[in-house]
Amino acid sequence: MGEINHECTCHGNPLVPQVVKVIKITQETPDVKTFRMQTPDGKKPFAPLPGQLGMISVVGVGEGMFSITAQGEDWIESSIKKVGMLTEAFHELAEGQEIAIRGPYGNHFPVEALKGKDLIFIGGGIGLAPVRSLIRYCMEHREDYGHIDIVYGSRSPEDLCFKEDLFQNWPKEKDTRVEITVDRGNETWEGNVGFVPAYVEELAFSPENKKVILCGPPIMIKFTSEALVRMGFAKEDVITTLEMRMKCGIGKCGRCNIGSKYVCLDGPVFNLAELDELPDEK
Amino acid sequence: MQLKKTDLTGALKILAADASVFVPGEIEGIKRFVLWDGESDVDLGGANTQLPPKDILFPCTEKMYNYKMGDSIEIKEIVEKPRQVIFGIRPCDMRSIDCMDHVFLEKGFVDSYYSRKRENVTLIAMGCTTPERTCFCDSMGLDPNNAPNADVMMNDGGDTLVLEAYTEKGKAVLEALNGLLSEGGQAKKDTACTLKVNMTPELPEKLAGMFDHPIWDEVTRACIGCATCTYVCPTCYCFDIDSDNHGAEGTKFRCWDSCMFSDYTRMAGGHDPRPTKKERVRNRYMHKLSYFHERYGQHLCVGCGRCVEKCPAHMDITMFIDKAAEV
Amino acid sequence: MSSIIEELQSTVKKLLEDGTVGYVIGWGATRFPDRTTPVFITRPEDAHKLVWNHYCVNGTAKYALDDRYPEKKIGIIIRGCDSRAVNRMIQDNQLKRENLYLIGIPCDGKENPVCEGCQHKNPLVYDVLIGTPVEEKINPDRFKEVAEFEKLSQDEKYEYWAKQYDKCIHCYACRNVCPACNCKECYADQYRVGWQGKQNNRNSNQVYGLTRAFHVGDRCIECGECERVCPMGLPIMRQTKKMLKDINDLFGDYECGLNDSRPHVLGEFDLQDRDEFM
Repeated sequence: MGEINHECTCHGNPLVPQVVKVIKITQETPDVKTFRMQTPDGKKPFAPLPGQLGMISVVGVGEGMFSITAQGEDWIESSIKKVGMLTEAFHELAEGQEIAIRGPYGNHFPVEALKGKDLIFIGGGIGLAPVRSLIRYCMEHREDYGHIDIVYGSRSPEDLCFKEDLFQNWPKEKDTRVEITVDRGNETWEGNVGFVPAYVEELAFSPENKKVILCGPPIMIKFTSEALVRMGFAKEDVITTLEMRMKCGIGKCGRCNIGSKYVCLDGPVFNLAELDELPDEK
Repeated sequence: MQLKKTDLTGALKILAADASVFVPGEIEGIKRFVLWDGESDVDLGGANTQLPPKDILFPCTEKMYNYKMGDSIEIKEIVEKPRQVIFGIRPCDMRSIDCMDHVFLEKGFVDSYYSRKRENVTLIAMGCTTPERTCFCDSMGLDPNNAPNADVMMNDGGDTLVLEAYTEKGKAVLEALNGLLSEGGQAKKDTACTLKVNMTPELPEKLAGMFDHPIWDEVTRACIGCATCTYVCPTCYCFDIDSDNHGAEGTKFRCWDSCMFSDYTRMAGGHDPRPTKKERVRNRYMHKLSYFHERYGQHLCVGCGRCVEKCPAHMDITMFIDKAAEV
Repeated sequence: MSSIIEELQSTVKKLLEDGTVGYVIGWGATRFPDRTTPVFITRPEDAHKLVWNHYCVNGTAKYALDDRYPEKKIGIIIRGCDSRAVNRMIQDNQLKRENLYLIGIPCDGKENPVCEGCQHKNPLVYDVLIGTPVEEKINPDRFKEVAEFEKLSQDEKYEYWAKQYDKCIHCYACRNVCPACNCKECYADQYRVGWQGKQNNRNSNQVYGLTRAFHVGDRCIECGECERVCPMGLPIMRQTKKMLKDINDLFGDYECGLNDSRPHVLGEFDLQDRDEFM
C-alpha cells in the first residue's frame, strides 16, 4: 500500500472546504479540461503528495473527488472529464471564477520505495491524470529514479490528454521514453494503433529492478495487469489506483469501502498484491 | 447511591436546568427518545425504544455550512455545541456510541460535527430489565446490565434507581443530584437475553473468507431493498452530503444514507460495484460482523434486535449468524 | 390446514421435479412461530420448507420483478391479493404471464388488519389451485374510515398528516414492497435530478408521500403492504383509499387488478367522463 499522510490543511474541520480561484483552464481533449486553482490571496491551497486527492466543489452544485494531477509553487491542478451533472458544471466554469476544495485526501504513491528503480508509467485515457502527479514528481527528483518509460493510450488521437507533456516536455527529459498508442487512428496519426495491454506486451519490458504505475479504466487495468503478470512482473511491483463513489473523503461516510478498507482514506493507491487481498467488489 | 423513583422528576428538573434532556418517551405511537418536557413520567421499563438515540449525536439531517454563490464565494461553517443529556439509554445503544466514537473520532480525521456533540453530552445509562424476544446483546459480547462507557450507570433497585458514576462528568451529575440521593441500594443486575446466537469469536475472520460463498444467494433474496434495517440500527452511520440552495445562498448538509439504496455506490459514469441486493446485503452483514471488526476490533452489531423486529421481509441477522457459524 | 400444507408442498415438489418451474416463491419459517419470511425454493427436496399459516403476511408477487427474464417459469404461491398484484404488474407491462406459474391458494385472512376488509380472498388467476375456494364477502365499510376522515376540517387534516409525516424516516419500504410501485427507476431515486432530496423534513416527507399516492393512484390493489411494512406506523392506506374512493365516486365501482387487461380508469379517456373539475 502507498504511504499515508493525513495532515489535512482544512483548518480544523475536515468537511468544510476552502475557497479557491480557477486561474487557468486548459482544454485537454473534447471532454477533458484541466483546472489550475489558487487561493484568493494567491497561495497554494495545500501541498499534496503524488496520487493524493482533493474534494472539489462547484459551490451549490456538488462535490467530487479528483486526483491532483500537478502542483506548482502557488497552484494545484486537477483534470476533470465530463461524465455527469457535476463535471458538466466544472466544464462550464470560466477562468477567474471561484470554487472550493478540501483535502488532501488518501494515501499517495510510495515515492520513497520507488527510489533507485526503473519506472514504467502506464496510463489509459483520463487515467493518466493521477499518474501525471507522480511523473512530475519523479522529473523534479530525477536523480532519485532510474530509467523512465511512459506508455499511454487513448481512444483516438483527439482523446490524448496532456499533449504538451507527452509530445514536448517529457520526451526531452533525461533517460525518458514516451510510447503512445491509440485505439483508432486518423488520417494524420503516424504513431502506434492498438490497445494498451497488447502494446505493453509488444514493448516487452523485462521486470528486473522495475516498478510499474498503472492507471486507467477498469477493463484496461484488468487486461494490462494480466499482461504484466504474464511478462514476469511481481504483483507487489505493479501499483494502481482505485475509483469508488465518495462523499466525505475522510473514511467516515461509508460508501467507498472494499472489504474493511476505505478507498478515500486507505487508498486510492494499492498494488496488485494488496488488491488480491480485498474482496472482488471494485 | 440511590434515587427514589418518586424523585425522578425532581432529578430530571435539575439536569434540565442547563441541558436538553432526552428520555425514552413516545411520539405518535412510536417509542423513541424525546426531549423531556419538564413534567412527563419517564418510561424506563418495557421494550427498548423503537428508534435508537443515534440522531441526538448524529442527526438524520445536519447542517454543515452556509455559502454564498456568485463572483466571490463565502463559506461559513455552522458550529453547534449543544449541552445534552441522554437519560435511560440502554447498554446496547451505549455500545453503539462506542462504535460511532471509533468511526467519527479515529483513523486520521476527527469529524468536528460529531465530536462537538459528543464532548458535550452526558450519558446516563440504564441497565436493561426487559429484553425483548429479538434481543441478543449478550451473544454479541455485551452485558445488558452494564454499560462501561456510561458517565453514570443506573440499575433498577425496586423503589429506587441505583446510580454509579463512571467518569468525571458522571461525578458532576451525582453532585448536582446530591440532595435527592441517599447511600446504599441493591440493584438488580441479572438480566439475560432469551435469544442466544452462535456468534463465535472466529466468525469475523471466517466470514472474510466467505465472500463468494453460496450462502449469500440464499440469505439475500427476501430483501426488498428498503432502508428500514439501516435507519433503525443504532450503529449504521453512513451518510450523504448534499446542498440546499435558495437563490444565491445555500446550505451544505449531511444526512443519513443507506447502503441498501440502489444509488449508494453508483458512480457518475454509471458503474456500480454493488449493483444488486445480493452485493448490498452482503456488504451490510459483512460490515456488521466482519469488516468493522477487522478495522476497529469490535462488532458493528450490538444485538439490539431492531432490524429483526422491523424488517418488512422478516429477514433476521441472527439466523444468518447461526447459519454462517455452521457452514 | 395440515392437508393444505401437504398438498402445497407436494405440488411444488412436483413442479420442481418435472421442470415446470425454475423455483417457487412462497413462505418459510423464521425463529418465531408467529412470523414467516418469503422463501425461494429451488430444489424439490426443499419443498417441505414451505409453510402456510395465519402469519403468511408478506406479498409474494413483487419478487418476480427481480427476475424479469427467467430461464424457466417462476412459480409463485399466490393468495387473492397476490393474484391482483400479478395482474397489476402484467397490466403495467412489467411481467409476462407466460413467465409465471401461479399456484393459487384461497386465503382465510392473515395476521394483518387489512385482511378484515378483503373482498378477494380467492386468487383471481392461477394455474393450479390448492384447497377449495372460500366464501367471498363484500365489505360495506370499504371507504368508511376515509369518509369519516373527510369530515375533518382542512386544518385538522393537515395537522394530522404533518404529525404522521414528521415520523417518516425515508426508508422507502412502502414503495419497495408495493406491486404498483414498479417504475424501473423511481422519481425519488433520481437524486442527481433532484426531485426528492435525502434530507429529512416535513416538506420533503410530505412531497414523497403525496407523490407516491398519486403515482399509485388508480392502480392500488389494496393489499395493504405499504402500511404493514411501515416501521413508523404511518396510515398510508388512508391516502390510497382516498384516491380510490374519489375514483369510485367519480367513475363508479372500481377495483384494481381483478384481471390483467382492463385499462386503468385514469389511463383511458371517455367523452362521458365527468369533468366538473376542468
